[in-house]
Amino acid sequence: MSEPSRLKRLRLDGDDLRLALTCFAGGVLLALMTGPEGNITDPTYSFRNALFSSHVWGFLIFGVLLAMASVYRRKVRMGVVSRNRETPRRTIRVTMTSVIASPSWPLRVATAVVALLAALLIADFTGPFVAHKFSVHVMLHQLVYTRTYGYVFIIFWLLNTVRVNLTPRSNRGVPSILTTTSAKLVAGAVGGFFFALCADSWLPPRFSFAYFTFTGNSDRAFLSHWTTYLWMLAGLFVGLRAVRAERTKSKMDLVSRWKRPHVKVTADTRFALYGAALFVAVEAPKFLSPFWQQSLFTQIGIYCLLAVGLNVVVGFAGLLDLGYVAFYALGAYTNAYFTGALPIHPPFLLNAFFSIPIAILVCMIAGVILGLPTLRLRGDYLAIVTLGFGEIVYVLASNLNNVTDGAGGTGTSGSFSMHIFGIHWALAGQAIGDDLNFYYLLLAFLVPIIFLFYSLNNSKVGRSWAAIREDEVAAASLGINSLKYKVMAFAIGASTSGVGGVLASAKLGALFPSDFALQVSILVLVLVIFGGMGSIMGVLIGAAFVGWFTQFLIFHSFIDYQDADKFMYLGAILILTMIFRPQGMLPSKRRLREFHDSEAGLGSADAMGAAAEGPLS
Amino acid sequence: MSGDNIFEVANVTLRFGGVTSLNDVSLEQRRGEILAVIGPNGAGKTSLFNCLTGVYRPQEGTIKFFPKDKEPRNIVGRAPHRVTKLGIARTFQTSRMFNALTTFENVKIGVEASQKTGPIGAMLHLPRTRHEEHASDEKSLELLDLVGLNHRLNVTADSLPYGDRRRLEIARALGTNPEVLLLDEPAAGTNPSEKLELVQLIRRINEEVGVSILLIEHDMRLVMSLAERIYVLNFGQVIAAGAPSEIQQDAGVIAAYLGTSETEGAS
Repeated sequence: MSEPSRLKRLRLDGDDLRLALTCFAGGVLLALMTGPEGNITDPTYSFRNALFSSHVWGFLIFGVLLAMASVYRRKVRMGVVSRNRETPRRTIRVTMTSVIASPSWPLRVATAVVALLAALLIADFTGPFVAHKFSVHVMLHQLVYTRTYGYVFIIFWLLNTVRVNLTPRSNRGVPSILTTTSAKLVAGAVGGFFFALCADSWLPPRFSFAYFTFTGNSDRAFLSHWTTYLWMLAGLFVGLRAVRAERTKSKMDLVSRWKRPHVKVTADTRFALYGAALFVAVEAPKFLSPFWQQSLFTQIGIYCLLAVGLNVVVGFAGLLDLGYVAFYALGAYTNAYFTGALPIHPPFLLNAFFSIPIAILVCMIAGVILGLPTLRLRGDYLAIVTLGFGEIVYVLASNLNNVTDGAGGTGTSGSFSMHIFGIHWALAGQAIGDDLNFYYLLLAFLVPIIFLFYSLNNSKVGRSWAAIREDEVAAASLGINSLKYKVMAFAIGASTSGVGGVLASAKLGALFPSDFALQVSILVLVLVIFGGMGSIMGVLIGAAFVGWFTQFLIFHSFIDYQDADKFMYLGAILILTMIFRPQGMLPSKRRLREFHDSEAGLGSADAMGAAAEGPLS
Repeated sequence: MSGDNIFEVANVTLRFGGVTSLNDVSLEQRRGEILAVIGPNGAGKTSLFNCLTGVYRPQEGTIKFFPKDKEPRNIVGRAPHRVTKLGIARTFQTSRMFNALTTFENVKIGVEASQKTGPIGAMLHLPRTRHEEHASDEKSLELLDLVGLNHRLNVTADSLPYGDRRRLEIARALGTNPEVLLLDEPAAGTNPSEKLELVQLIRRINEEVGVSILLIEHDMRLVMSLAERIYVLNFGQVIAAGAPSEIQQDAGVIAAYLGTSETEGAS
């Protein structure tokens, strides 16, 4: 089974050539489809021009660069892998496709960017309109408004999918061709759709990005451009993933994340799900009225941010934190302090945008200070202490009139508005279209945070959390300092809550201590439990559902409804969840198994994440 | 004092309230040795293990650990995870796997615990994280090869049969790169053929990986065939020590196990 000789080869192998050829073929196909600067319906289309168009050369260069990187990569790898070859084992197939996945991410990104830029530059320089295409801005426009690059990725991807699926199963370690193909098709369809949207020409104008460019609102136009670039980047990422697929699967052979029992969602379908969610999150609010943008999407965004943060504490580390909103308050007041909205004045005033890092830092430190003594406690005791902390912060905020303006709250409207990147990231109640800007600012925080937490959970840190959750004694016997990891989770959750506090108070334009009441902590906990502890997608779904549901109640309730009533309904939801689906709507795999284990009397982690107890034996 | 000891336990006394679990226990283990501690139920064997790994803190006595080429360290008063970092690994009497994680992940957690990657590196996939991730994959696979579980990488630990779980626990403990491995009744609940494999496995760990082994076991045949020296505990006291053949002849030991018609003082 093992093929040690394969590793000794430093030459280009079949996979490299195939990939380079795929690149090249993609370029040619593309060129034939579009012509150098138009498409096949263009009367000036000429086959000869097309064949020698810039795109072909660009992608040829792209392919060659990739192949070169592959050789380089294998040389590097030789040193790493060559030890301990005598045991027959699942061969690590070091092929072309491993190029993009194996080196460190800066190298990966750099390779891709350099290759794309090379392709673009050549396209630009050899194009007929070379004279007025020297500015970077125009170049980006060409990138965005040429659907061709989108097609290349799709073609690339489809070819790769076919190729991967035709590889004998034994080389891949994937359960079935059907699974991977369907997963890839779903992912491919999503990726394709991204690109189709980039190519604004064949969709009705209402759906195209250009529509927003010409609405006359310059902020809006700017954002539209940026969302378009976002899809470009998403597409690039999707493309890289497709190329990476084979390598991942040969790694799967070693460490299969596919063959686990109970796993229904593959990496690709999950990826596609996240893509679709991002797409909805970015595009859907554009079609809504400002009121709904603000009261539905911005609200859901804030819920998501808070829920994702609490999920680190409750879902990943298994600690029940009932004082989560205290950090939210801390973040909000830190921001208010540095923007001069409080009765006490800071040494220097800051733009609200730049006070966010300070708020993060303050919350993180507060989390560590609170965590170090209290995280030695277990389960319910920890919940009580955090509950007390939350109340202390609430009482202080309400009563320290000289510092926080007391229970009446402090008006901060205006002092939170941010002028940055040439946009007025404004607040509710100012200009009509501005809510959307604010919403995108929120997304700009939320999306990276989701990505970071996702990698965190799939890393050593996440595994250590799982170990502590399941059996703290066994974890300690492996050298895991459980206090350190718990404090880490606490601090990470706290700082996320702090960011949420800054943004939420900025959205309201004012700070009221009543925003930091216990109910808010419980609300966020409901989001996490309803969605599924430990699963980022789950808590996002929880946040979206609860955000929508509270608005639904306001407008569709058949009884007289007050905002304060929402906890009654949320309580009902929670009870129903606990009866019918106690693991949450979309629980994480690990959490689900823990849940089943504890029902079967195996293991000691319960659904709420109480630490393992019992005597040492 | 033979000079090259890995453990020196001197006059350790452990009490829980009025109950004395270990009473003036002294023992030493030579580097590279397979040492067994036997004794009837409740003799204090597991308490001794818990003292050696920092879980319990004995009221009296010293426990010295001699890492290779380093200063000797006192175990008493050290937290369990710090003791593990010194190079002492253990398994548990009732296996304590991370049941919801896969076999592979279980071992990997042990390997990773000593790596330096922090949360920032993990979030951003920094080069060191990637490198360490790769290294821990390799090491975990090696260990699973060693214990013969390489065909069950991706099953969850709770679905493994009992014997496999014990072997997995050994692999996980070895992941921490120990100099001495403390095995708490590794053969409990396994069938004869599994026991045979276990004996071979422990020998291999001792000889090929070069880890000293301290073993608690009830199965006398297994202990006699494996251990180079044996300590016998009874009511928290060392009642005999020596090579297996000596222990088998020892009147006190026989009395402790089988009971005598006379009073205990007769031994």
